[in-house]
Amino acid sequence: MLFDEYYGEYYACVSEILQEALKGTLTKEKLIDITRRRGFAETVLTIPGHLKDGSWPLLTADLKTALRHPPQHPVTLLQKRWLKTLLDDPKIRLFNVPETGLEDIRPLFDPRKIIWYDRYGDGDPYEDPGYIERFRLLLEAVKQHRRVQVTFTSHRGRQNTWTVLPYRLEYSGTDDKFRLLCESDRQRYRTLNLQRISACRLLEAFDPEEHPSPLLQNDSVQLEIVDERNALERAMLQFSYLAKKTERTGENTYRMTLQYRREDETELLIRILSFGPVIRVVEPDRLAMLIRERLQRQSLCHFP
Amino acid sequence: MAYSELIKNFEKVRSYMRDFYVYGFKGRNEFDAKSARIYDDEYRRVKAWLEGYMNSYTDETGKKVFISIDSRAVFHNPLYTAFKTKSFTDWDITLHFFLLDILSDGPATVGDCVQRITEVYLKDFPAEFPDERTVRNKLSEYEKMGILVSRKRGRNLVYSFSEEFRESPAWRDAIAFYTEAMPLGVIGSYFPQSGASPFGFKHRYLLDALDSEIVYDLCECMNESRAAELTLFSRRKKQENTHTVYPVRFYFSVQSGRQYLLGYHYRFRRPMFFRLDCLKKVKALETEKDPERYEAYWQAFDRYLWGVSPGDHTLDHLEMLIHAGPDEGFIAERLMREKRHGTVEQADGETWKFTADVYDATEMLPWIRTFIGRIEQLTCTSDYVVRCLQDDLTAMNRMYGGDTGAV
Repeated sequence: MLFDEYYGEYYACVSEILQEALKGTLTKEKLIDITRRRGFAETVLTIPGHLKDGSWPLLTADLKTALRHPPQHPVTLLQKRWLKTLLDDPKIRLFNVPETGLEDIRPLFDPRKIIWYDRYGDGDPYEDPGYIERFRLLLEAVKQHRRVQVTFTSHRGRQNTWTVLPYRLEYSGTDDKFRLLCESDRQRYRTLNLQRISACRLLEAFDPEEHPSPLLQNDSVQLEIVDERNALERAMLQFSYLAKKTERTGENTYRMTLQYRREDETELLIRILSFGPVIRVVEPDRLAMLIRERLQRQSLCHFP
Repeated sequence: MAYSELIKNFEKVRSYMRDFYVYGFKGRNEFDAKSARIYDDEYRRVKAWLEGYMNSYTDETGKKVFISIDSRAVFHNPLYTAFKTKSFTDWDITLHFFLLDILSDGPATVGDCVQRITEVYLKDFPAEFPDERTVRNKLSEYEKMGILVSRKRGRNLVYSFSEEFRESPAWRDAIAFYTEAMPLGVIGSYFPQSGASPFGFKHRYLLDALDSEIVYDLCECMNESRAAELTLFSRRKKQENTHTVYPVRFYFSVQSGRQYLLGYHYRFRRPMFFRLDCLKKVKALETEKDPERYEAYWQAFDRYLWGVSPGDHTLDHLEMLIHAGPDEGFIAERLMREKRHGTVEQADGETWKFTADVYDATEMLPWIRTFIGRIEQLTCTSDYVVRCLQDDLTAMNRMYGGDTGAV
């Protein structure tokens, strides 16, 4: 079963409390502190009470436990089946996972039974040994906070070699691509397509506190939606990957405010265009102007 | 019943979370709750689970609650939290810790467990002792979950831990990635997470998490080649109905956030798509005797799908000419990667031709509109498609104050 208390936050929270009790270091303050950190907003009103009143007889009044071992949380069959499923995905080769340990386990599903029907067709080459090697090196660089020298081909076809500080590997399910988010000598925030990187080399470590991953500022766009052709539901869902706020402005009209990164503006523009006249950009004017330009260009195309 | 942060049935909260997340402009009285108190309780729960992501505003019609998440700025899907809220009894949690502690010392029978619980763990408590059946049930439950194994010793069953699965560092990286990038990723979130994830995600539709139980049940049907009874809830008609299908494939969109099941409908004798967020329940039925028949049927059927509409099962032929200047190679690249079952060829130095035969060309309109500014010609055997684009362009020119006369 997918929805089971075994995986619940309450069990995890009590487990941490009992570990502390086993070490003999549990105090009332620590108990509250663990509950606040591990639990939900109101968990502090329940777990300490149950442990104190004996309805969960796991802790004595002096915060000791009769358990002899640190609480265990063995991996379940469901979890093993999920792992086994991953072995059938082409991207799993990027991770060098051992092929042993799951021989008798049945996967949860066959990835070929899932059709990602609007995924772009030029995804990364996950079976290319060179790509796999570079991916693994960059993953280590991100995890170990190591500078890395990358050689890559730019959009204009020029080959560059940079030394960068890697922050994260970002995956897009739409593009089926990985990108390296990093800092270069010239710019605080860079995005490099892994597919365009032809060589990379690990360099010395850097202090992540001196070079924290930048907090990027979002731009905001305000859209007016006319709920025709199921536009409201489609827009709500389609833009749900962005931070958004929606307000009803009339019987059939809505105002939606989206937060987006400036670097994604063209992509957002295209998505807005796909709705046609049922969505209008109210502001910023700059974005409305870009749509206007496309409409003007269309009028020169002899269609319709 | 007193309020609790935990819930017994996930389905109950699923639609609330969806409404808070997707819509976010509904007032308290617009929810389908049987009473205002039910709404208040669900709101309070979701707020407790998703602290930091719940927002609200007030307008003339009252308070509106919504969930807002920039999926690029979060590294773990916050909606997975909802799956970690299952309620349990006092004995469930108590026996969980007692039994796993006992078995850490080695194999034990039900009797051994009861004895140690009463003589050691509950010695200092006034709590009543658990009976053998309660202990046996919990051990048996954990055996079904694959945590424990049992073997016969005389007339008794002896329980011990099943073979341990060792998570190598490579598995930890894979789990961190697939938890956010794979269907049923919620299961990955059940593994302990250590430290910051090295991965980020773009275009991530977090909402799919809420349909995980439905996906899981359908996967089990597919694994065993079983038919399934689907209980659907129509939001528009506000009514439930059931369909018996043979589940063939999932169709997931990475651009709209929608997820569908393609099933062969036994009564209507044709393939049909069902949105997973409209499915309330999946019941596994008998094994299909001839699953290969539907597999072959699917292979022929899929060739002409643009998205998820089979139209009336006849084909529309569509041709489109797109302008791309000499230094606009990215347009040809776009066409090539987004063409799906269509074909792309260069018509002349500055024009690219896209051709497709699909069941329902109206499904292509959103994609065609993304080329506004470059469409030199559009022809389609469905007049509606061409007319619709023409009308859209006229309306958009009017909206943005353009030259309506030019269109």
